[in-house]
Amino acid sequence: MKKYDSNVCDSISSQLSAYFDKQIPVWKRHLIKRHLDRCPNCASKFNAIQKTDEFLQFVEPIKASDSFLSDVLQQATAVNRTNSVKHGSMKRFGTYVESMQGWLRGKIRAYNPVFMLGFVFGVIIMIGATLYSPPIEKLNPYPQLLINSAEAQQDKIISFEVISQQEPKRRLKNR
Amino acid sequence: MFVSDEDLMIDCKKGDMSAFELLVRRYQDAIINYIHFTISDYHRAEDLAQETFLRVFKNVNRYEPKASFKSWLYTIATNLCRNEIRNRSRRKTYYLEDLVEENEDVYHSEYMVDTRLQPDILYEKKERQQIIKKAIKLLPENQSVALTLVTYQELSYEEISEILDCSVGAVKSLIHRARQNMKDILNKFGIGGSVNEKI
Repeated sequence: MKKYDSNVCDSISSQLSAYFDKQIPVWKRHLIKRHLDRCPNCASKFNAIQKTDEFLQFVEPIKASDSFLSDVLQQATAVNRTNSVKHGSMKRFGTYVESMQGWLRGKIRAYNPVFMLGFVFGVIIMIGATLYSPPIEKLNPYPQLLINSAEAQQDKIISFEVISQQEPKRRLKNR
Repeated sequence: MFVSDEDLMIDCKKGDMSAFELLVRRYQDAIINYIHFTISDYHRAEDLAQETFLRVFKNVNRYEPKASFKSWLYTIATNLCRNEIRNRSRRKTYYLEDLVEENEDVYHSEYMVDTRLQPDILYEKKERQQIIKKAIKLLPENQSVALTLVTYQELSYEEISEILDCSVGAVKSLIHRARQNMKDILNKFGIGGSVNEKI
């Protein structure tokens, strides 16, 4: 009988579980099968896997109790009902908002010229008051204090800069 | 006519309760078995299985038909099992099934009502089941989950990789190591005399 290289046997034995579970491609399965037919060492390893699995299969499956399905469906229905109640409250809030919108629209329509004019005027005033910032002197009740203050004095200092005009060291000769 | 899980989920999204009922009918036994294997308590397993299906129902709008329903369902169940195990270890809770030899799930098994079985055969079967469950429990968490999913739920490696959020290669080596460890544990229990060769 042909003796196989230990590297080949190692790579085959690491794939024996997958081979047993039929989780490798068909071409590879053929190769492993051929190897198992010729290599008694790997064949015995494969037998061990088979026997362990046979032993594991002794466990009898358990069946769900008779009330299991009805219990699950009952709970699912309860969840469904809760969701629909949640959706119901959202719906109620939506209709409330809609009715408010309708009321506003009705009011605007009812007082059309006056209401709209007043509304627009109010909005303009609000925007103006927000954006317009008056000069501080106008709001200051003691303008004299402001003039004599240190900050005001500092503002009065005139800063100047002396620019000296030096002659260039080298001059171009006139040709 | 067979309707796929994904189509049933689409119907369920539209508010069809009968589609949801069909899904529960399809997977109730598998999910209870899976959770029972992981946490070893029948009543708690039923509670968690109920919770799993309820989560599916609550999050039905988030489900995208591109993903496999089976992996999604098992991912939810696995997360619930992990939480349960974590809570147990935090509270240091021991369940009756862990302490008492008399396993209550045998009352739900088919062979209990089979009067043809002799008491000694029945006892032997029961003992064997106890050993297997103990052996699976002794494996590291990821290995036991992967082995349970492939052996009892017959999931593909791709599906298991989605559930455990790892690559297919990692699942391959995880299952291989799980089987090696399982063989060693069974040998320690005095079984597996015929499984002596190293996998």
